[in-house]
Amino acid sequence: MIQLHNVSKAYQKDSSALDQISLKIEKGEFVYLTGASGAGKSTLLKLLYGGERPNRGQILLDGRNITRMGPRQLPLVRRRLGIVFQDFKLISTRTVFENVAFALEVQGRKRFEISKKVYAALKNVGLEHKLNRRPLELSGGEQQRVAVARALVVDPIVLLADEPTGNLDPETTLELMDLFKSANARGSTVVMATHDRELIRRFPRRVITLDAGRVVEDRHV
Amino acid sequence: MFDILPYFFRRALRNMAQSPFLCIAAVATVTVSLTIVAFFVIIVFNVEKITARWSQEVQVVAYLDQVPAPAVLDQRVRDIRKIEGVAEVEVVSREQAFERFRGRLGQHAELLEGVDPQILPASLEISLKPDYRNRQGVENLVAALKARGDLGDLRYGHDWLVRFEAFLGLLRLMGLVLGGFLLFATLFIVSNTIRLTLFVRRDELEIMALVGATPLFIKTPFIIEGALQGLCGGLLSLSGVYLVYRLFLREGLGTLLFTAGGSEVLFLPPAYLVGLIGLGLFLGVFGSLGALRKFVRI
Ligand SMILES: Nc1ncnc2c1ncn2[C@@H]1O[C@H](COP(=O)(O)OP(=O)(O)OP(=O)(O)O)[C@@H](O)[C@H]1O
Ligand SMILES: [Mg+2]
Repeated sequence: MIQLHNVSKAYQKDSSALDQISLKIEKGEFVYLTGASGAGKSTLLKLLYGGERPNRGQILLDGRNITRMGPRQLPLVRRRLGIVFQDFKLISTRTVFENVAFALEVQGRKRFEISKKVYAALKNVGLEHKLNRRPLELSGGEQQRVAVARALVVDPIVLLADEPTGNLDPETTLELMDLFKSANARGSTVVMATHDRELIRRFPRRVITLDAGRVVEDRHV
Repeated sequence: MFDILPYFFRRALRNMAQSPFLCIAAVATVTVSLTIVAFFVIIVFNVEKITARWSQEVQVVAYLDQVPAPAVLDQRVRDIRKIEGVAEVEVVSREQAFERFRGRLGQHAELLEGVDPQILPASLEISLKPDYRNRQGVENLVAALKARGDLGDLRYGHDWLVRFEAFLGLLRLMGLVLGGFLLFATLFIVSNTIRLTLFVRRDELEIMALVGATPLFIKTPFIIEGALQGLCGGLLSLSGVYLVYRLFLREGLGTLLFTAGGSEVLFLPPAYLVGLIGLGLFLGVFGSLGALRKFVRI
């Protein structure tokens, strides 16, 4: 599903954020990306959704090389991804429903189809009763569930999450993990960057450890 | 595709409603600059019209010291007709000149009692074709006539023509420079207000890009927003200009320009009105394109 060949990324000339990364993630895998702060976890995820371009190397996503993709094709790839961030990235002026619907609107889907899918996605995260609220009227855990609903509403082939539990308490972290696991069970490949060793211990999966831009450990379970 | 255009329009309107001050600023800028441009166009347009009318009277008069024999005179008239730009040559005999003079004196005509009707010189009144009724045309004709050497004094309304053409040229240049400057400044301001609205919505834009919106999809609402603002500015300036025209210009400027009666100041012709609105549209669309070019690189 995801393949990296000798991928290097440097934001500045002398320091490299990622250094010759090669790895392969199969379809349906659940992968933790871990490592110290500044190790390059976020950078790797950015490369996967095309938010940054590698200086060197090739990235294949579902068999397509996204390394040299132009601004017209990249959006089409992103439509098949779900992305979740530590800071939720919700639009505060829109309702919960509109936030989730956004991901389908940009694809030009039909309205009744959007309503149906958005409702189902919100029900999946247990927030169907709050669809007219604004994000700031919700708790952090609820906001992150809205973000997850937005990511999952498109039935993503790959779910990318950058420290999705970073701002959540242990309780809500567990709720969120359930959502990720069930998405994974439904077929989405999941790549989650996290610092949380406790989480990894509780839900053991494949762990890729980065340090200073290199893969120092790749532990399959 | 789903009902995409209404969707874009809804987004554009919502954007404007969410930052009304920016929207008003953009519209006001377009309005003010287009209004100034429109006034200039009205003035230039009217002055050109007057010039066209005045220049119909442009002619060169050649006085004849001695009246030659009719055959010689005929030959001369025929020769002059062949000069480039000449429309008509009229022979005014001494007697005709005297009669005209008497007619002009009106009730004081008795002053000419006992005066020799041969006292005024005969002349050739040479009028020009419309395209030649300008300084260059007159100068060329005068040069050609002088070169003949068989004509006496030449009279032509050269001085005022020169001055008037210079004035008109200056007016046009001023209009062009001022208008160009204004439009450029407006483009800049509109572009920056739209950039501010982009800045206000940068989270939204980022998220749109993350969930797979194409650049065109992201940009279109903002282009529509710019177009609507430009259109509003164009229409507002049009009604503003028309109002001021009705209240002040039509009579006020009219008495200034047309001292001896004549027609009133004209409003812009329809094509110009459409052009003005088009200019507003252009400013809005290119203002937002300029803003988007620097902003949306996702
Ligand atoms: N936009 C940027 N411009 C310049 N340097 C950057 C940028 N983003 C990241 N870096 C650098 O790249 C390196 C890797 O950063 P990255 O954000 O990928 O680390 P991380 O593993 O996600 O860290 P954290 O756990 O703190 O989120 C760091 O040295 C960081 O300073
Ligand atoms: Mg990070």
